[in-house]
Amino acid sequence: MADIVSIVNVTKDYHLDKVVVPALRGVDLHVAPGDFISIAGPSGSGKTTLLNLIGCVDVATSGTVTINGHDTKSLSDRQLTDLRLDTLGFIFQSFNLVPVLSVFQNVEFPLLLQRRLGASARAIRVNALLAKVGLDKHAQHRPSELSGGQRQRVAIARALVTAPKIVLADEPTANLDSKTGDAIIDLMKEMNKSEGTTFIFSTHDAKVMAHADRVVRLADGLIQTLAEAAGSGPAALSPVEGH
Amino acid sequence: MSEILLLLRISLRNLFASFLNVVIGLIILVGTLFFVVGGSLVNSIDSAMSRSIIGSVAGHAQVYQASSKDKPALFDNWNMPDLDAIPDFAKVEGPLLAVPNVKTVVPMGVNTSIVAFGNTVDQALEKLRKAESPKKGEPKASREQIASLKDHVRQIVKVIDGDMAKLNVVAAKGAVDPEDLRNLAKANSPAFWAGFDADSLGHLEFLENKISSLVPDADQIFLGYVGTDLDAFQGAFDRMQIVDGTAVPKGRRGLLISKYVYESQFKLKVAYRLDTIHEALTVQHKKIAKDADLQDLVRQNKTQTREIILQLDALSARKAQGILQTATGSKESDLAKLFSLFFDTNDANFEDRYKVFYTQLAPMVELYRLKPGESLTIKNYTKSGFVEAVNVKVYGTFQFKGLEKSGLAGALSLMDLMSFRDLYGFVTPEKIAETKKLEAQAGAKYVDRADAEASLFGGGGEVTQGHQTSINDQAELGSNPQIQKAQDLNDRVYSPAEINQGVAIEAAIILKDPSKLKQTLKDIQKASDDQHLGLAVVDWQKAAGNIGQFVLICKLILAFATGVIFVVAIVIMNNAVVMATLQRVREIGTLRAIGAQRTFVLSMVLCETVVLGLAFGSLGALLGSGIVGWMNHAGIPAGNEFLYFFFSGPSLHPGLSLGSLLGAFVVVVLVTCASALYPAVMATRVSPIQAMASED
Repeated sequence: MADIVSIVNVTKDYHLDKVVVPALRGVDLHVAPGDFISIAGPSGSGKTTLLNLIGCVDVATSGTVTINGHDTKSLSDRQLTDLRLDTLGFIFQSFNLVPVLSVFQNVEFPLLLQRRLGASARAIRVNALLAKVGLDKHAQHRPSELSGGQRQRVAIARALVTAPKIVLADEPTANLDSKTGDAIIDLMKEMNKSEGTTFIFSTHDAKVMAHADRVVRLADGLIQTLAEAAGSGPAALSPVEGH
Repeated sequence: MSEILLLLRISLRNLFASFLNVVIGLIILVGTLFFVVGGSLVNSIDSAMSRSIIGSVAGHAQVYQASSKDKPALFDNWNMPDLDAIPDFAKVEGPLLAVPNVKTVVPMGVNTSIVAFGNTVDQALEKLRKAESPKKGEPKASREQIASLKDHVRQIVKVIDGDMAKLNVVAAKGAVDPEDLRNLAKANSPAFWAGFDADSLGHLEFLENKISSLVPDADQIFLGYVGTDLDAFQGAFDRMQIVDGTAVPKGRRGLLISKYVYESQFKLKVAYRLDTIHEALTVQHKKIAKDADLQDLVRQNKTQTREIILQLDALSARKAQGILQTATGSKESDLAKLFSLFFDTNDANFEDRYKVFYTQLAPMVELYRLKPGESLTIKNYTKSGFVEAVNVKVYGTFQFKGLEKSGLAGALSLMDLMSFRDLYGFVTPEKIAETKKLEAQAGAKYVDRADAEASLFGGGGEVTQGHQTSINDQAELGSNPQIQKAQDLNDRVYSPAEINQGVAIEAAIILKDPSKLKQTLKDIQKASDDQHLGLAVVDWQKAAGNIGQFVLICKLILAFATGVIFVVAIVIMNNAVVMATLQRVREIGTLRAIGAQRTFVLSMVLCETVVLGLAFGSLGALLGSGIVGWMNHAGIPAGNEFLYFFFSGPSLHPGLSLGSLLGAFVVVVLVTCASALYPAVMATRVSPIQAMASED
């Protein structure tokens, strides 16, 4: 099966005044559809940078990033935005919900940007997803009226509402207690199974990592290991491994 | 559509999301409030003032001779514009009336002349002289009347004698002419009055020449007036109403004095001041204790009692003494001191004294120095520098309904066009005939300039013996053609054609449909140009002179103030929206990350600010409308005569103007867009990476 994400020899440098800080120093990564991958590593290892490149919110300094067959370097800002809207879903560490909109409206938002579905079709889709994440009773609540775990579930529903091929989650459990964090990862896993959505999430929590099919370990901007998650099979030794 | 709804939803939800939004909202609220209230006020003053100007004298437009140096300025009384005369009004009236929207054309001209009055002594002596030697046809005065008049003069002499005696004590030596004292002593002596009847004219002459001059209160009034076809004027300006006397009969010469001028200039000054105080206390609810102007009026009344004392004969003086002693509770016998005490009014005693004055004292004096039915001699310096004088009968007083208290609307009296033409120095057919008659009487003959010397000094004419004839005063006076002429003229009835034929300085145009003023001005100008009438036309606002520009100035000030407010608002709001945007970088980044285009972000920030503007703007407009409504209900009182004119009545009831309401919304949208444009563009530059940044 063709890779949904293909990263080949990618580097990313940040410029702080006159100092060039390399965040990624030649990374190769291939992700197949339906993968449930964790990107692990200590702070500053390049996890978020890698997610940004996959999420098309940033561009590589060199190398090729191909998302769902599109070389992101060749796309305009508008095309990148459309790619994010249609192909990607985002779950943020701090949930990032629009505070003035209700739970329902937050989840509906990407559908409105897509302008494809009518109001009733949107409502069916949003309500179905809210039911799935267990928040159908909170549809009219404001984010501020929800707990952290509930908020993150709204974010998951929002990320999935457009039925994206890939969902990116940046430290989705970092702001949650471990029990809630586990529940969120379980939910993500369940979605991965039921919808066949590819999940790529960053974390430095070993317990969370354990849920992943594969773990990509980053250190100093380089992939150290690409391991099958514990219990799922033997750890892969090659840092770059296709399926 | 759903995206717009989403934008609106976000905008509405965001209204009170941040303290900054409330700040922005309040700025917009105040700006809109100011715009709506200010705009409605200015528009109301505009329409009120247009009613004042149009309704009192200007009409909707004024035509004048295009060759004039200046333009008409009907209300600039002390700065008369230099206008050429329209040579024959009859020739322009027809073509003007033929212009479709023109209803009436009223010929007119504005002028200011001098009316001189003798002093109180002169007036008393004049009455006595008339009683002693009535003119032919006038009824003979009774013995009692003559005795009363004599008594009055005697009383006056006594008052002056007293004044001079006091002056002689306090003034520097030599300041009082001993001759004056001797004359006063003579006039005050019983012997003088015992011999009065034997030689009344001689005695009167002595009093006129030697005593009257000691009283310096001779007065002259500058009378501003509109010379016009009085019948046409009354028809065209339906706010005009007769207050005292009657209208000038059709086709007659005559004068109608503005009630305002009649009260302020012709009324006994003490009485006029009392009226002013009374009005301030009862209508404007002022207090003497708190108002410096009113205190000043009280002070003037206290010190200027002579005018009223000189009007009292001995009997009245004694009666007045009793009234004043009762009213003031004083035992004082000196009349001047008593009056001074009486007029020393305060908030507690004013109304009682006012009542006493009008019910008990006023009947003993002449409240007005001229009554309807009497004639007035009006003098005018013509353009060529000659003095013209006309004797005009005053038929009554008039006012413009709703503008009774306005000194501006009431500044001009109304005069017939014939007298006006005489005073202005225009040569009328009557004048030409009169000049010819005088030339014939004097034996004058026309001498050509070139032959002047030869005619006057050359030739072989004989030197003849001149002969002296004695002058018969009485015969001359009795048959004085001037006096005869004035009488004739005042009785003469002029036909409308006679009134129209001749010069006018300008003409007021009354329209059938005032809303078509601009078009009609063009039509009038075209009619004049096509028929070579040589006229120019201005609308009422320009015709009014400087006063007409007041509204324009108000509008400019309002526009400037609004402009400043909104420029300041744009700057403050721009900063506030920038700050609000910076606070929302993560939210905007998130929206960008999950697929919102830059254009969406741009529209979002603009839409939010405009919705904010409209919401608070509506609130401001609503509040403003409320304030205007309240002002409409309560009315803004015209605190002074000036405002009376601008408000076209005692108070202004401003109406909400749709224009300023709509204008306010347009301005709010423009201002909010302008202030949000930079932050909106800034917001589009927010990178979706910002969404990924951790909260801290």
